[in-house]
Amino acid sequence: MIAALRDRFDAFFGRGRFSTSVPVMDGPLQPNQLLEEAEVVVTRPALDNLASVDGAVLFSSGEDLFRLPRGAAAPAPIWRAPAPIPCVAVDGAGAMAIGVDGVGIDIRGGRHDGRQIRTFVSGPLVCPTAALFVDEDTLIVALGSAEFEAAEWKRDLMSRGRSGSVWRVDLAGGKAELVAGGLAFPYGVARAPGNDILISEAWEHRIVRLGSQPGPHVVLDGLPGYPARLIAASTGGYWLCVFAPRNQLVEFVLKERDFCGRMMADVPPNYWIAPALVSGASFKEPLQGGGVKQMGILKPWAPARSYGLVVELDRDVHPVRSWHSRADGKMHGVSSACEHGGRLIAGAKGPGYALDLGAVQGFVAELA
Amino acid sequence: MEAILELRGATKEFRGVPAIKNVDLTLRRGEVHAIVGENGAGKSTLMKALAGVHKLSEGEILVEGKPVVFETPADSLKRGIVMVFQETSLVGSMTVAQNIYLGSEKLFNRLRGLFIGAQQVLLSMNFDVDPMALVSSLGAAQRQMVEVARAAHHAAKVIIFDEPTATLTPEEKHHFFGLLRRLKARGISILFISHALEEALQHSDSITILRDGERVANGPTSTFTRASIIQAMVGRSLSNELYGARKGVDIPIRKPGPKLLGVDNVSLGKIVRNTSLSVYSGQITGMFGLVGAGRTETMKIVAGALKRDIFYGGEIRFEGRKVRYRVPRQASRDGIVYVTEDRKLEGFFETMSIAENIQIGHLAIGANPASIVSMREARKLAAAWSSSLQVRAINSSAKIIELSGGNQQKVVIAKSLVQEPKLVIFDEPTRGVDVGSIVEIHNFINRLADEGIAVIVISSYLPEILALSDRILVARQGQIVEEMSGAGATEEKIMYAAVH
Repeated sequence: MIAALRDRFDAFFGRGRFSTSVPVMDGPLQPNQLLEEAEVVVTRPALDNLASVDGAVLFSSGEDLFRLPRGAAAPAPIWRAPAPIPCVAVDGAGAMAIGVDGVGIDIRGGRHDGRQIRTFVSGPLVCPTAALFVDEDTLIVALGSAEFEAAEWKRDLMSRGRSGSVWRVDLAGGKAELVAGGLAFPYGVARAPGNDILISEAWEHRIVRLGSQPGPHVVLDGLPGYPARLIAASTGGYWLCVFAPRNQLVEFVLKERDFCGRMMADVPPNYWIAPALVSGASFKEPLQGGGVKQMGILKPWAPARSYGLVVELDRDVHPVRSWHSRADGKMHGVSSACEHGGRLIAGAKGPGYALDLGAVQGFVAELA
Repeated sequence: MEAILELRGATKEFRGVPAIKNVDLTLRRGEVHAIVGENGAGKSTLMKALAGVHKLSEGEILVEGKPVVFETPADSLKRGIVMVFQETSLVGSMTVAQNIYLGSEKLFNRLRGLFIGAQQVLLSMNFDVDPMALVSSLGAAQRQMVEVARAAHHAAKVIIFDEPTATLTPEEKHHFFGLLRRLKARGISILFISHALEEALQHSDSITILRDGERVANGPTSTFTRASIIQAMVGRSLSNELYGARKGVDIPIRKPGPKLLGVDNVSLGKIVRNTSLSVYSGQITGMFGLVGAGRTETMKIVAGALKRDIFYGGEIRFEGRKVRYRVPRQASRDGIVYVTEDRKLEGFFETMSIAENIQIGHLAIGANPASIVSMREARKLAAAWSSSLQVRAINSSAKIIELSGGNQQKVVIAKSLVQEPKLVIFDEPTRGVDVGSIVEIHNFINRLADEGIAVIVISSYLPEILALSDRILVARQGQIVEEMSGAGATEEKIMYAAVH
């Protein structure tokens, strides 16, 4: 009763969960143009799911999975899925877990080659967003939503979806155990010390730890964007990709449920007042930099629907530095990253670029 | 043009500390003269000396070539010098006409006569203000018009404006500068203090720049550029001697610890406007801005001393938790303390002893559940903190009013730190403090950050910001507009961010 009253009170005054405020990018998240300045490694539409295996970089582009060997000029397609590939995981023994949107997960190579995971006890694997091999026989799978496919992430966000879940799959025994449910679009999985795992919960703008403590334990909260993949770094910390920024307009629209419903019913998703992987492609888009233009040039600090951000987190999951592509840039929608040959490669899904962010060891030396 | 007002060798000391030193100034008839300088440069003191609020310690004032002595504001008013303060001195519950005639009423007044007279004054200056309107219903620019009309009614020859545009909207500023031109055309001389350099460059005929109470540059506006004004405002050799060590050059920058405080889109009327910032443990975050930039107000909201806007006032997160303090005590209990810039008004109880003042800080966090306060414990506590902060007093029973400014400030700091804070906000920590104490207070602030405490230092003194800060936030017009590392910051860069 008191909680309901407080909710009404908060909704009236714009406080609590009805606040439209957005955390600022400052300190270790202070904006720069490092993503814009990074060297482009490869270009493919909707490039996503970077992974490093056997001296090559794997990545997906729509339904296709590509392999780019070190030093090669062009990537080679190695597999084609019946639907877009929303997640890829590799283990050290040559096995790959490939998520297929609206279908499930296929295992290629390794001890469980050919294995297909299509349903859990909760229902079909509609939206596999991230996977992680704990060992050869155990796979952690994050399902972003129980209702919408990964390609429909925007609809899940605007519906304020909280049907995501994380599962531990025993590939040998075929059993799947629910680790956590009711999550707001878990988009990244990484191993934490002990047998714990870290999950990036996109719609809650936070990273939670699952395992040793009952329920999700928040380790990093109040991110200024929507977190995507989380990758354990060889330096002991983590790489966090943030695929879109938060802004006050979207926060406001998210609270206006009637407006949201009508917008989703009447307007094509590309023109919703919602975050995007890329923006500025059409005059019909909302926001358009909030009009912060001078002499026709969009200013970097303009409010935007899309943004590029990669964050280095330390062992305690605190941000220590970041790479940005601001409102006036184009390397937006960074959804995945991997370490390859001692260098950090990030994938900007919006324009479809893989970017070389520099030597991994170099960052550590500079920080020390 | 003949000189209407001159200052020769003007010096004003407060308890032996000079606020202005040997300042010369010449104001000609019909001239618009801008006074610029950092906070604390002595601009307001100079203007108040001309308006008769302060009496000069040394030097002389000449009005139309004749030496005069102003004992009270009434003396300067008689000579035709009127000062319009930033906070207008009008009475809100009275009409415009009544305010214009305030102080010059006859024994018996006809209201209609007042209105007709006021109407004539207003029309003669082309002011679109209804003389029958209540002053409380007017906007900031119209209030200034009424102030000016009142000055004209008193046959002012010189009008002094202190930060006239600080509270005006762009449209109101446009009206205000139109008003200046009309006053100038009537042969009235204008002196105005401004932090907005564009205003000084665009609307004045000559500029005087003050620094550390001294005139460092003076001349026709055409001889100045923005860069030369900023250089003159901030370049100080004395400061370099006092604040020789530089962050990032002589002292390493501290790495940020976990984020302790997040201020997200916080608003408070027109003073704090959708401002956002973060503060990290184990670092000193410096906040610089000119007067009216909203730094103090933002931090008072954090510390529970002010309340943000009721509707969509933004959020404050402390240790990841959303907080909304109604009173400072709640913030103190959570580990946020605010060391005020105005210690005499807000910092201590001057008739109480050092021990009692420090003990009050201790009681504020509910550390003493007993209803009887042990003075022996209080004295022990005071002795420990006096030793830690090197407070120089006969003993802890000494009244705080008997201490020097520096030692008073140390007691105010002790009163806050006794609460074992996680975040300490120092607002102008060395204002009115002697040089020796400045060094000690700086050392103490550094020690706090080294111990992992998050420290915010609000200062209007650039060398202090540069000497202390690991990262610097620059505020302008109620928002944080720039963040820079202590290593890469320079006085010019900070000042540029603060005024553009």
